[in-house]
Amino acid sequence: MTAANTALPLDDAAAAADPNPAQARNIMIVGVGGQGVLMISKVMALLGQRQGLQVKQSEVHGMAKRGGIVFSHVRFGKEVWSPTIAKGDADALIALEWAEGLRWLDHLKPDTGVFIADTRRIVPPFACRSRKHGATTNYARETPAEIVGRIADGYALDATSIAEELGDVRAANTVLLGTLSVSLGDPAAEWLAVIEELVPKRTREINRKAFEAGRAWAEAARADPELRFDKTIAWRPASRPHADVSFEVTINPAWCKGCDICVKLCPERCLAMSREQVATVKHPEACTGCHVCEWLCPDFAISVKTNVRESATA
Amino acid sequence: MNEIARVSDFDVKDYLRLNLMPHFMCPGCGHGIALRSLLWAVHELGIDRNKLAVVCGIGCSGRTGAYIDANTFHTTHGRPLAFATGLKLARPDLTVVVITGDGDCLAIGGNHLIHACRRNLDITCLMLNNEIYGMTGGQVSPTTSATRVTSTTPAGNTEPTFDACKLADAAGASFVGREVTRQAPALKNLIRAAIEHDGFSFVEVMSDCTEIYGRKNELGESAEMILSQKSDMVPDGLGNAPDQPFRPNRMATGILARHARPEYGRTYRERSAELRAGTEG
Amino acid sequence: MSSSLHSLQGNKACALAAIAAGCRFFAGYPITPSSEIAEQMSRDLPRVDGVFVQMEDEIASLAAVIGASLGGSKAMTATSGPGFSLMQENLGFAAMTEVPCVIINVMRGGPSTGMPTKPAQGDIMQARWGTHGDHPIIVVAPASVQEVYAETIRAFNLSERFRVPVVVLYDQIIAHLIETVELPPKGSIHTVERKWASGTEEGFKPYAETDDLVPVMARPGDGHRLHVTGLTHTEDGFPTQKPDLAAHALNRILDKIERNRAEIDKVEQIETKDAGTVIVAVGIAARAARRAVQMLRSEGIRAGLVRPVTLWPFPDEALRAATANARAVLVPEMNAGQLIHEVQRVVGGSAKVAGLNRVDGEPIPPAAIAQKVRELVADE
Repeated sequence: MTAANTALPLDDAAAAADPNPAQARNIMIVGVGGQGVLMISKVMALLGQRQGLQVKQSEVHGMAKRGGIVFSHVRFGKEVWSPTIAKGDADALIALEWAEGLRWLDHLKPDTGVFIADTRRIVPPFACRSRKHGATTNYARETPAEIVGRIADGYALDATSIAEELGDVRAANTVLLGTLSVSLGDPAAEWLAVIEELVPKRTREINRKAFEAGRAWAEAARADPELRFDKTIAWRPASRPHADVSFEVTINPAWCKGCDICVKLCPERCLAMSREQVATVKHPEACTGCHVCEWLCPDFAISVKTNVRESATA
Repeated sequence: MNEIARVSDFDVKDYLRLNLMPHFMCPGCGHGIALRSLLWAVHELGIDRNKLAVVCGIGCSGRTGAYIDANTFHTTHGRPLAFATGLKLARPDLTVVVITGDGDCLAIGGNHLIHACRRNLDITCLMLNNEIYGMTGGQVSPTTSATRVTSTTPAGNTEPTFDACKLADAAGASFVGREVTRQAPALKNLIRAAIEHDGFSFVEVMSDCTEIYGRKNELGESAEMILSQKSDMVPDGLGNAPDQPFRPNRMATGILARHARPEYGRTYRERSAELRAGTEG
Repeated sequence: MSSSLHSLQGNKACALAAIAAGCRFFAGYPITPSSEIAEQMSRDLPRVDGVFVQMEDEIASLAAVIGASLGGSKAMTATSGPGFSLMQENLGFAAMTEVPCVIINVMRGGPSTGMPTKPAQGDIMQARWGTHGDHPIIVVAPASVQEVYAETIRAFNLSERFRVPVVVLYDQIIAHLIETVELPPKGSIHTVERKWASGTEEGFKPYAETDDLVPVMARPGDGHRLHVTGLTHTEDGFPTQKPDLAAHALNRILDKIERNRAEIDKVEQIETKDAGTVIVAVGIAARAARRAVQMLRSEGIRAGLVRPVTLWPFPDEALRAATANARAVLVPEMNAGQLIHEVQRVVGGSAKVAGLNRVDGEPIPPAAIAQKVRELVADE
């Protein structure tokens, strides 16, 4: 079974013959706060209801801030008991944020699960463990090519850019819905009717366009496996290109009065107090050039110099 | 140039009288940070040091001016604004900055402050508020927080305090702002805006007296005192609640008032020119 | 152009003289009996591109005057006893930092609020010793409206020349007296300008000792970035507590006056050559004394008058010479006895020194002085 032509259970001949299979459809939608995860899950739930199925929708959006993790489980079938989807049991995983998608990959059915992900990266603050310029982050390193090649049926598209080009970046979730509708093999009209019912009236047009753009992208990708991940995405490497910057902290011991402000306030713990009660640079390599020590030294004893090698920026 | 390579070309040493360094202030004293912020603002504004006049009063704040490589005047207790008034009226081409303290400005110099606010000459007044008379050994000042122990309030201060910014605003200062030394870049920006303002600008700098006030009141080491500034201050208009200690009460920081009022020196010169034109005609 | 005659009030003559001397800044606070000076300056200064400002008190007034002088203006203030008391703080600052300034003190009855509209001579000692610490100061004491005009100009000249505060000391009577004054033609008035640094001198020291002990002053903006402090300071202007440097700094500003006495002293002497009785008086009291001398001479009593026009520094040598042959010295003054202490110090035991004092707000009439001299002569 090749990934390219693997259909969802819903999409195979048997499922098509019986629109209400005994086995529930399990859809996971993941992302971060503010992206529209819940809108997708509402669309899926309403679609299930329209088809006369039982629907269970389970959401986690406790991190009610923008950027916090949000995920939603939608299950629908003739009879649905459990509200959540177990590992290895998801028929489809829709990721509105790249790394969030990767986090839930193990929930996909290993052989048949469909993975649809926006390649948009939203790097959370806690992934930035180092404040140094050009420092690597702890954000997922895997590229779309690697991921899509690894799973049964994967699609990685820059839905955000597609939506942006259409005029409203907030319609990225609808782009993904369009893509999903192709995978699920459902008729577009039914989905569009549900979307239009759920979105604000004034955004119906943009959402329709976004949905169709998602469908168009998915149809092309289904036809040509080479298109399943967008090669045009300017994928940013883990470490961004940057000027070769280093920082030089100099302490004038003749002026230092040993007040300890610099030592205690340096976020990188670069500085230490000597036995003579004079500040010293203990970890020069850890300096990120934030200048806090320099600005808050009451005795003008510290200077932070930025050394840039311009050639490295070329 | 790469964005991250864009670094400030400000070096405080360019603005200091290096032969006088290190300065006389105690370890951890906030006045040094305030001084740096002032010089940083001066640098960013591109003010010619030859045309910069810094007028100081008496006390710890008054001694800061001597370290600035400019025209510096260390005058009498409480009077720097009055000296600056004469200087600015006689020499409108100079950028005149007054450095004063809470005792210098609000106690002995209170009268000069309110009238400088009212007159609205283009002078920038930095009041370094450390809530204490440091130079004389730590006596209570008009801004000492309630219950604080000082040399002259051995059982804790029971006198009410001034909110200097409200005072300046009420007296007619056309620019009023407050900032903590902890936020040196914000302080620099505030001082910059104050100097740029055409009229009398009053900036209250919340500074730490670590060696005397901090010790007497067990407020912690220098680092702890400066870190606590952020919890004492709020960046916008909550103001000073009545019947509460001045600090650690929450006070507003930033630009607190800005009014467009005619700068007095220009008004006077324009009137004089009209008079001269009238008498010659 | 020739000189012209005008009927002028003392205070107005003072203001006109200040402008003629080059004064371009006045800061003051209303006080009787000096307010007419401020009023006149508020009218005249804008017309010569100068600045008048009414400050919040006399402390601020002298502070503003010093500020303007530091900026390069010839500057002055005018006040009376209570205000003069408030000015003592900054008067000391001007003496210490060697900033030229002129202070008009129109004396009225004291102490405290006293008798604001009545004359007195109670500030003779305050004018010399009012501010704390040893300090240089010059005090001139005109005795007529004409002399108010001349001495105000001289006060500016001395102040600019020696970088020292100069007090013009007269009383309520002269302040409000209207007399005929001969004003010199424009351009004929001798004015002195401060010695200014060019701003480009290498290693310029703002308080460097010069031949005449008067340091060259630098104007802000001209290139030298200097520090001015009321703290005891070295030649470079920065504070010091080193005993030798501190002593040198104070001695220089005191010597600056002593060494230049020839340019500063001014004493009027009337009939002192053969005087057996010498009257020493200043200001309004000296006017009465002059008449008393006339009266006494007509009676054949050999009386003379020594009138210090420059009151401080006190004219020791002139007085000593004038009293060399005197058997008695009379010091009439409108106070409880201030000038007499200086006279006693100078005359010592060589002559009997007596005072004639009045503290009721009324001038001492010539007849009273003449009578006192007769008594002194009779006692011999």
